[in-house]
Amino acid sequence: MDRPLAEFIEMLRYADIPVSIGESLDAAETVQLIGYDDRGLLKAALSQVMAKTVEEHDSFNRCFDEFFSYNIEFDFKNEDKEAVEGEDNLDSQSANPEPANENDDGSSVNDDTSGGNEQEAGEPLGDPSAPLLEMLEQNDRTALALAMTQAAGEANLGGIVLMTQRGLFTRRIMEQMGLDQVNQEIMAREEQGDDEGAVDLAGRLETLFDAVRDMVERQLALTSSGKGKQFRQDVLKKVRLSNIEHRDFKHMREIVRRMAKRLTDMNSRIRKVKNRGHLDIRKTMRRNIAYDGILFETHWKQKHKDRPKVLAVCDVSGSVASVARFLLLFLYSLNEVLPKVRSFAFSGTLGEVTDLFDRLGPEEAVPLAIEQFGGRSTDYGRAMEDFKDLIFDEIDNRTTVIFLGDGRSNGADPRVDILKEIKSRAKRVIWLNPERKSIWGSGDSEMLRIAPYCTTADTCNSLNKLELIIRDLLKSN
Amino acid sequence: MSIIDKDPAEAIDLIKAGFESAGYICDRHIATSIYLSQKLDKPILVEGPPGVGKTELAKAASELLGAPMIRLQCYEGLDESKALYEWKYGKQLLYTQILKEKLGDLLEDAVGLDQSMDKLHQFGDSFYSEKFLEARPLLQALKSEVKTVLLIDEIDKSDHEFEAYLLEILSDYQISVPEIGTIKAKTKPLVFLTSNNTREMSDALKRRCLHLYIPFPDAELERRIIKTRVPELDENLRNQIVSFVQQLRTQDLKKLPAVSETIDWARTLLLLHAEKLDADMVRNTLNMLLKFEEDIENTNSDVPKLVAIAHKETR
Repeated sequence: MDRPLAEFIEMLRYADIPVSIGESLDAAETVQLIGYDDRGLLKAALSQVMAKTVEEHDSFNRCFDEFFSYNIEFDFKNEDKEAVEGEDNLDSQSANPEPANENDDGSSVNDDTSGGNEQEAGEPLGDPSAPLLEMLEQNDRTALALAMTQAAGEANLGGIVLMTQRGLFTRRIMEQMGLDQVNQEIMAREEQGDDEGAVDLAGRLETLFDAVRDMVERQLALTSSGKGKQFRQDVLKKVRLSNIEHRDFKHMREIVRRMAKRLTDMNSRIRKVKNRGHLDIRKTMRRNIAYDGILFETHWKQKHKDRPKVLAVCDVSGSVASVARFLLLFLYSLNEVLPKVRSFAFSGTLGEVTDLFDRLGPEEAVPLAIEQFGGRSTDYGRAMEDFKDLIFDEIDNRTTVIFLGDGRSNGADPRVDILKEIKSRAKRVIWLNPERKSIWGSGDSEMLRIAPYCTTADTCNSLNKLELIIRDLLKSN
Repeated sequence: MSIIDKDPAEAIDLIKAGFESAGYICDRHIATSIYLSQKLDKPILVEGPPGVGKTELAKAASELLGAPMIRLQCYEGLDESKALYEWKYGKQLLYTQILKEKLGDLLEDAVGLDQSMDKLHQFGDSFYSEKFLEARPLLQALKSEVKTVLLIDEIDKSDHEFEAYLLEILSDYQISVPEIGTIKAKTKPLVFLTSNNTREMSDALKRRCLHLYIPFPDAELERRIIKTRVPELDENLRNQIVSFVQQLRTQDLKKLPAVSETIDWARTLLLLHAEKLDADMVRNTLNMLLKFEEDIENTNSDVPKLVAIAHKETR
């Protein structure tokens, strides 16, 4: 596989497109088939080989445009005319030392140069190991470009993650390319009174600085969008739900969605409608008595497994306000991926929000649910009664009921008798509480009374925990 | 396959033109995927909203290649006995009954159970041979002497287990039948899998396929599609229809109208001898485009505005 493609694939992986080895091989074959000449065609072809979902197609298109459009440009202002005149000359020269790379058309994509730079280190022309001063003076753009990519490699530019590292990396690359020497030369010229020469050289140096800065920026854009995001997501998963800032809501949504999707994927693997693998001899024989014992009609062993029905009830009162948003968000995502989830929200009174979730996006639906049902002081007794009135008849032995709440009822009777009834009818009752177990039962918390009537009652205060619990739920299904 | 052996750009243009003459209007993207799948021997996983012509693509490809199409409609609970192969149990049982006497003759001179068994073993597993194998669509496609187009429709409706059965076929074009052995494809079929993305396909499956996403067409492409599908329609009205539908797709609807709906609507208007769009007629025929009562209600009030814009755009 040639180097530009390898680099491109690495970039895709940073951009959350998991390109497998098999797919990279396919991509290499595709490139061989189509070549680099027709960019539009290449883009269409590669996107089908490597991007496998709609979201991935979007990222792929972005990456492709970014990766293949870039040229290292040195805009030597003072030398404009000369540069134009020398253009053809330079271009043909730059094409010359290229080893038998894929792009023998010499289309000056940056990757051609970066692809070739190692083999070319010793070439007389475009020699990146020549002193920087010489390259600047001679306006040798090819060599500068090569030296830049080489220096970038040595400065480990690929490792750049944060915005604040830009200056550092620019500096490192410039030093690697021999910045000190050029600075000394400028000073020397000034001392000798050659002001014009000093200004000229300083100008060229500044142009080079700009080019290096551009390169660093670009690399940052490539890697940070991937790495930075992953870093942030890893942190978000572990943080206590109540501590997550509002601005992270969007990222949370993405994580939660993915989590819920993974969970349902696992779940649908477990559930299966029928399994007709084996002949049921007994039933077959019994059925065929009518045909005088000649086995004529077959009968199969069948296994039925039903989809789970989930009723989720979420407390959105003031005491759990900071967590409610995320609990609702999780409910929302669950709603999106599981076919039979009905969601309810309450603080004082309880109401169904399934419809709200169906109709609106999460950015609207979640605040609306909080607005509609939140704000009042919690009354678990009332909520239980409402819940019983609303939905009790639909609870059967396939239903899982999930409560999300802190169990603080402001002194009101939490009506555990209703909970007991629910438990006796439902397949299981799960209570998820954002509070630690050690403070259950303190103050107005009714958790100690509630817990015995739940199949599971557990602390759930981070996304990781939430995922674990839900996974157990689906496994035991 | 002469088309495929040509220079890529040329081959892709030829495929595109071929599709067009078969009445399937597409962009280069789709033609590219056909070309690639032929060259890389890979199945194509086609995704997109319902009604954009995913199934039509397979039909058009079958026409273009002159290859018969074998179609497998997926549904929940579809298993290998419906998709891959099944033993003709009924036939097996019947044969044993019929052959009972014959067996008696054969075993006449055998003494004792052991000898009878030995004798029986000499006849081999005749009941588990290809004669008793009922080939279902997937096996049919592999056993076919000529190249076929295999369409596995709405793969997202099937179970995870079924996806796993498919993997062997998709990557190696072969099926393992435990009683017989591995059956390899005589000619590799061109495989299309379509999905509405109601569930995410497994990575293993996606890895083996090219992924083609067909979005709603842009106005230009949609005009050409309507022109091919409903050629009798007046050009002016066609432009208005397309403009109206394109606007409708930017609205917040439960189900956006797809190309197939546009075609149906165009046919309806043709039937009603419409000369240009007017608000009343649109209202009366809106149920051809929108399939939810709620959507129709929400759109009703906007119809005059949308019609006006459609008129303006096509003037």
